[in-house]
Amino acid sequence: MKKINFILNGEKRQIYVEASDILLEVLRQKMGLTSPKCGCDNGDCGACTIILNGKSVRSCLIFAIEIDGMEILTVEGLSKNGMTPLQESLLTHNSFQCGYCAPGMILSATELLKVNPKPSVEEIKECIAGNLCRCTGYQPIIDAITDLTK
Amino acid sequence: MPIAHDFDYIKPATMEQTIELLNQENKRISILAGGTDLCNMLKNGFRVPDLMIDIKALHELNVIKDNNTDIFIGALVTFSELINSDIVKEKLYILWEAAHKVASQGVRNRATMIGNICSAVACMDSAATLLVHNASVHVKSVNGERKIPVNEWFVDNKKTACLNNELVTGVTLEIPQKKYASAYEKQMRYAGEDLSQSNVGILVQEDKTYRIAFGAVGPTPKRSLKIEHFLQGKELTDSIIAEARQMIETVIAPITDVRSSKEYRMQMTKVMFERGLRTAIERLNNLI
Amino acid sequence: MENYKYIGQSVQKIDGKEKVTGAALYTDDLEFGPDLLYAEIVESTHAHAFIKNIDTSRAEEIPDVLAVVTGKDFPFKFGLYMKDRFIFAQDRVRFYGEQVAAVIARTPKAAKLGAKNIRVNYQPIDAVIKQLDSIKEDAELLHPDLENYVHVPWFFPKDKTNIAHHRKIRKGDMDKAFSEADHIFEEQYEVPRYSHCAIEPHAAVAKFDLSGRLTVWASSQSPHTQRHIFAEALSFMGIRHNDVRVIAPHVGGGFGSKAGVTMEIIAAAIATKYPGHPIKIIWNREREFFNTYQRPGVITKLKMGVKNDGTITALKHELFWDAGAYVEYAANVVNAVGLSAMGPYKVDNVQIDSYCIYTNLPPTGPYRGFGYSEFLFGLESLITQVAHKLNIDPVKIRRINAIKEGDTLAYGAHMNPNGLHQCIDKVAKEIEWDKKESSPHKNKVIGKGFSLFWKAPAMPPNASSACFLKFNEDASINILVSGMDIGQGYLTVMAQIAGEILSINPNKIRVENPDTDRNPYEWQTVASHITWSCGNAVKNAALNAKNQILELVARCKYLPIDTLFLEDEKVKCTTKANFELDLKDFIITGLQMEDGTFKGGPIIASGTFMPQFTSTKANPETGQGGHPNVHYTVGAAALKLEIDTETGKMKILKAVEAIDGGKILNPSLAKGQIIGGLLQGISTVLYEDMRFDHRGKMLNPNFTDYKIPTALDIPDEIVPILVEVAQPDGPFGARGIGEHPMIPAAPMIANAIEDALGIRIKSMPITAEKLCLAILNSSKTNINNK
Repeated sequence: MKKINFILNGEKRQIYVEASDILLEVLRQKMGLTSPKCGCDNGDCGACTIILNGKSVRSCLIFAIEIDGMEILTVEGLSKNGMTPLQESLLTHNSFQCGYCAPGMILSATELLKVNPKPSVEEIKECIAGNLCRCTGYQPIIDAITDLTK
Repeated sequence: MPIAHDFDYIKPATMEQTIELLNQENKRISILAGGTDLCNMLKNGFRVPDLMIDIKALHELNVIKDNNTDIFIGALVTFSELINSDIVKEKLYILWEAAHKVASQGVRNRATMIGNICSAVACMDSAATLLVHNASVHVKSVNGERKIPVNEWFVDNKKTACLNNELVTGVTLEIPQKKYASAYEKQMRYAGEDLSQSNVGILVQEDKTYRIAFGAVGPTPKRSLKIEHFLQGKELTDSIIAEARQMIETVIAPITDVRSSKEYRMQMTKVMFERGLRTAIERLNNLI
Repeated sequence: MENYKYIGQSVQKIDGKEKVTGAALYTDDLEFGPDLLYAEIVESTHAHAFIKNIDTSRAEEIPDVLAVVTGKDFPFKFGLYMKDRFIFAQDRVRFYGEQVAAVIARTPKAAKLGAKNIRVNYQPIDAVIKQLDSIKEDAELLHPDLENYVHVPWFFPKDKTNIAHHRKIRKGDMDKAFSEADHIFEEQYEVPRYSHCAIEPHAAVAKFDLSGRLTVWASSQSPHTQRHIFAEALSFMGIRHNDVRVIAPHVGGGFGSKAGVTMEIIAAAIATKYPGHPIKIIWNREREFFNTYQRPGVITKLKMGVKNDGTITALKHELFWDAGAYVEYAANVVNAVGLSAMGPYKVDNVQIDSYCIYTNLPPTGPYRGFGYSEFLFGLESLITQVAHKLNIDPVKIRRINAIKEGDTLAYGAHMNPNGLHQCIDKVAKEIEWDKKESSPHKNKVIGKGFSLFWKAPAMPPNASSACFLKFNEDASINILVSGMDIGQGYLTVMAQIAGEILSINPNKIRVENPDTDRNPYEWQTVASHITWSCGNAVKNAALNAKNQILELVARCKYLPIDTLFLEDEKVKCTTKANFELDLKDFIITGLQMEDGTFKGGPIIASGTFMPQFTSTKANPETGQGGHPNVHYTVGAAALKLEIDTETGKMKILKAVEAIDGGKILNPSLAKGQIIGGLLQGISTVLYEDMRFDHRGKMLNPNFTDYKIPTALDIPDEIVPILVEVAQPDGPFGARGIGEHPMIPAAPMIANAIEDALGIRIKSMPITAEKLCLAILNSSKTNINNK
């Protein structure tokens, strides 16, 4: 067991982890944050996306022990002070169906909008291409993000 | 899915410490950079290390350095960093293009090009760049430093010339001193994230020399000197291109697997060769 | 049409905020405290083998491993329509990956390590991989005891064969019809297996407490059906239905895969062997592919008689289904198709033989479309081929034959009111059917394809729905129903129905996923029947509540009840403009009379619905005499496809789909079904390609090599069109549309390819690779001159 320190949704946290612990499982089981989901456990689906030091990453492909000293944002943190315009737009567009891909999709789009507030449709598609959604056909999600650029 | 076995983890602060740690014959050691491959291998039990060495504290490996005649890319540089690098976009366009086609944003933010060439799976996207830019791979161990030419680096599918006690620190890519342009073509099952079923890298120079690399159509990626010699000095008319395209049948030996049949790999390699060549020429002609 | 306040409005999803804030909890998100245990299963490494023995000793010695469970602990069969499965394999395994044992442990790591250390000794048997081999005389029997299996009365298994069910339809005089036809066409088509690929894998947690109460939390489309099957399977322990409680949180996508019972029964069963602790089982992505349900594969043989003017006179349709190792649910897919494989056409002479065939591949079952995508690939391809041969426009031949209200169905009943012809016209107009298009790009060609579709809910004749509705002090409402919102927006639509009747904004109505202890009965969330069936139950409950409210007011305020009505959370009166009573002032507390006493009390209502005109009683040799289906939903679709003739890569430039959902209750959600469903259908044609080796092992059980579309792989444009011909017995005239959008995808792509290149592909999928190789092989077609 090794002690690690990190910032989780704006709060300093300190926990003990094994070298073999996967970050996704630590977030869900030890930190009680369930918005990062496990969909494929293989880096293919993007449901486990979190923002690590400002970048969207697959938490199923990261060892928890690696994040010592880093900063993590999940959708719980994003929504802390009310919904962001992105979340509002996704809500009013009825963008999601089952919602399982939503946290990952939202974080991927959040990263994009931060560096590129007016992305083109192609840039939006490229940005969320790593987040698989089986319900929506993506169009209602793309529409909601596109609306924010107007 | 949990990893069923336990192992030690060390994140050394210096290169000396790292290569010292690597120099333990009785230990199974895995190097951790981006971890996007390694993590899955451990989950699936394909690798069972005693020790995992996290090299992310070796900041000197997190550089893209332009030395005019060549460019050094360190072992910690991620695909996203390659995409965001002006040096790469300007001088290694083929790599910039290939990096965009690696997995997806969330993976590219972690995955490194060096990790890609260390895994050395047939479908890797980085090999074409290395081949057409006459790269050499830098490795370090307690015995010193070696520079391995790329054509010696890939030994077999998933097998490289790297020794157990060596750390890959980066690659040097040669920059042609004449006007040149390049292109990367990747066979994918659709536009979204996919492993390449075959790929083609092209580099053309103003003196009508050509470098052609084929990936995923043999145990290791390779240049085709035969086609390069054929094209050497020639103006690329439709009939010359057609003739070169036909030669591909004699230089690659694709296989059938779950991702593609050999027939389709052959057809796609031909199409991509032609399209990549035409794109590269067009880019060359558009240079000021 | 009536002027509605909430019905027909694009109301925002009532569970939308939960989903965009990460608040929505799915089964694996629930907290069970530090006593939670984990289970891992041991999978068969043979497609067909006898189990000689299982050595669990090494696993039992691993620290934190608490128990090992095998087939001998549960020697009882279960199944939805046919009891042909065991919880764990008994003396033999019938598919690669079948569960043989489970390890219960303190930690996921220990469970995984335990499962690795169980040694199973197998004696292999010949595996039957292809369905046409399985029906040969000398084929190895998968279920030698088939004759003893318990099944619903509308199944007809054939003893001592691998045919679990044979649905026959005989209508009209085939010989005469074929002899009188001007042309006869015969073709064969093949559709392989597919996987649902919900992004949330199956998950279940079960606890058998020390008092003998079994609670199961599961990602499920069928909480009550699961409770029923658990209770039946465990009845030997004296467990009654009300001892079993199924709690179904949010579901991360279903598409049929979470209907019926699959892995959840493992959780339920092993919990009884280790009482007092919650035990969790999560399916990994691999198992999600090969050990839930897959969509069955099918080989179809079609023979069609046609007049010179394009009128279809006869249709013979044989369907050979690769249904897998267990068909407890799939046999009803086979049955449903047997009833409906005439397609949405008026055909007077029909012969259908739909065979449910056991093979040593993973079990198949319900998948969005329930067999209709599969048989319509052949039928809609053939009709287009016929049109070309007769030199009739493919849309025209569909107009000539498309079914109308009152036409006789294959089983003798009559077609419900529908807007199929409207759908055809609107789609043809939107896709500019008569305009030929060419690509500006070198090496690219453009083709257009058209397809009709239909589908009826496939369910037992007496499948029912129920609703409890209760008011709160502020006139907000909680509705308790047991359908599942699997993303389609069902909870929102239920709130709209109750809101419309009670004149309360749906955002003041809470409808949540169920707990079978608290919520009333629902058969299952399948068959696209839930808007229609549960919608009727909610409507009945709301009418019941409304009646209670108005009766109370009439009684206490001495007003004729027929002058009272509800508006904006108030009771008003048509004859007294100033009369107004706020619901919140009396809906719980009652109305105070002049003498100070109170009348009334909390308003609580219930409603149920069961179709009372359906019957499966029919002649087994002809299929005639019953009324198995409640109604059909119909539609038409077309697309414009651009093909790169050198690579075979296809791009959908535009897709149009019209569907007649009766009264559309929420256009935004209905369009969402069309856009999402159509992409799922397109994906089965262009991208998804399931592979097995000769031993029956699936080779690509992962998203790395089983490709489902990303945001970069969608059509450039999808135009959804809603047609509204009311369903007479639907809530506000609605009928279901959930499954239908994906159904026409495959034939319309095949038809567009033929339009562009003159090449007819008769097997799915139609990947870029398959098309490219077909182009290379087609010598007779000069593409460049096209």
